[in-house]
Amino acid sequence: MTTGLGAIGRGRQLPGGARWAVGLVAVLLGILAVGQLRGQQGVPQLANLSAQELGVLVANLNTQNQQLRDEIATLQRQQADLAAAKNRGESAVEQLDADLARIQAWSGVTGLTGPGVTITVSGPIGADGVDDLLNELRNAGAEGIAIAGIRVVTGVVVSGQPEDLTVAGQGLGAAFEIRAIGSPQILTGTLNRAGGVIALLATTYPQAQVTVTPANGVSLPPTTRGLIPADAHPRL
Amino acid sequence: MVTALRARLRTIPSWQVTLGAALLVLGFLIAAQLRAEGPLVRYTTQERSPLIETALGLQTSQDALKQQILDLRAQIGQLEDEGPGSDARVKALNDQLQQSRIAAGLIAMSGPGVVFKLADAGGPGGGADQLVSAADIRILVNELWLAGAEAIAVNGERVTASTAVLDIGGSILANSAYLSPPYQIAAIGPVGLYDRMRASPTFVAFVASRVEGEGIGLSVAQLDSVDVPAFAGTVNVRFGQPVGSPVPSP
Repeated sequence: MTTGLGAIGRGRQLPGGARWAVGLVAVLLGILAVGQLRGQQGVPQLANLSAQELGVLVANLNTQNQQLRDEIATLQRQQADLAAAKNRGESAVEQLDADLARIQAWSGVTGLTGPGVTITVSGPIGADGVDDLLNELRNAGAEGIAIAGIRVVTGVVVSGQPEDLTVAGQGLGAAFEIRAIGSPQILTGTLNRAGGVIALLATTYPQAQVTVTPANGVSLPPTTRGLIPADAHPRL
Repeated sequence: MVTALRARLRTIPSWQVTLGAALLVLGFLIAAQLRAEGPLVRYTTQERSPLIETALGLQTSQDALKQQILDLRAQIGQLEDEGPGSDARVKALNDQLQQSRIAAGLIAMSGPGVVFKLADAGGPGGGADQLVSAADIRILVNELWLAGAEAIAVNGERVTASTAVLDIGGSILANSAYLSPPYQIAAIGPVGLYDRMRASPTFVAFVASRVEGEGIGLSVAQLDSVDVPAFAGTVNVRFGQPVGSPVPSP
């Protein structure tokens, strides 16, 4: 059987108009196929967000970018101080001390004190509910968190069933306190806003009582958890 | 009649058949292109367009700022190592700094571990329950910590003590970075990490309700070497004041 392509391949002559038509269709096919493939790769997920969600995203990105710029400014000052000390032939003990204190405070290795909130939780609540509270505190910019006197650092997770929750192997009991350091206004406002985490918890765990109190002097203990990994090693 | 139709078909030149087939494909492609343009037209013609452009611009800026932070930290680390004063105190401080950076998640790490892939359910007309949510990600991350993970990243965002994971539409924000599905959760940890996870009632319930119940895609690979990037966010403490000395690790 002779196919059309076979016929063309063997050099059978086409009418002049037909050759133009085939050529034009081939070019159009190519352009559309490439366009389709590129379009499939490039459709941003952002197109699926509503205007309200996009507004939230833009606000989040703006805030985060400003914080990143602040971090860059801090690091640039640190770099300049270290370079100046090196040029003077001096050791940079003060700069190293300051950098160490900053990192240890942020990671929970040292205790922390400052303004923030205390949250009292009582009644049956699930581990997911407490995790929602912690997540919202982080979202609101909490610089440090402790539950029932245990500093929340990487790897510290609330688990178990309602009224039998544990954190870092310690039972939480029927009532416990969460402390967080940060802007009291922002932390309180974020937790208590209409449709916020506390409103949702009132629906999910109606018997649980969650109360947020702003405070000027909140103290968080250092972690007692070993944070140096045994199996992970720095990537070269 | 059929015989007559066959005879007529035989008289059609083969190049016309080829052209006809090509035009048919062309028609399909034009239709597909027009359908793909649909959402584009929807958001470019309304108020969402500037918001999307702003979000894309901010995300690009964020990526650049994070890279700048990582570069600066590397340069500072080098300056600290090269600094004069080879006395014991400076050396001890440098060692402490390196350990603190590792503990804080400021250093990229490698090691044995697992990588999970979470994907939205593929079926048509799926509702919000068929999408991977921030709660799904947090459950897996928490289960990994409980099973002994030492370092975790979600789509390249290092999970630290300050990481919040939030829903935004059908996607998530982690460390305020916009992440879209599918999500890869990479974790470094001891041998048996995944086995311990599978024994957890919370993980079993998650698989039953979200994977088997809603059709969320979940796959896992246990690997000899998993890479987890460094946290590239801010470690500034503005409201809190450090108190005392760190407690020695047990």
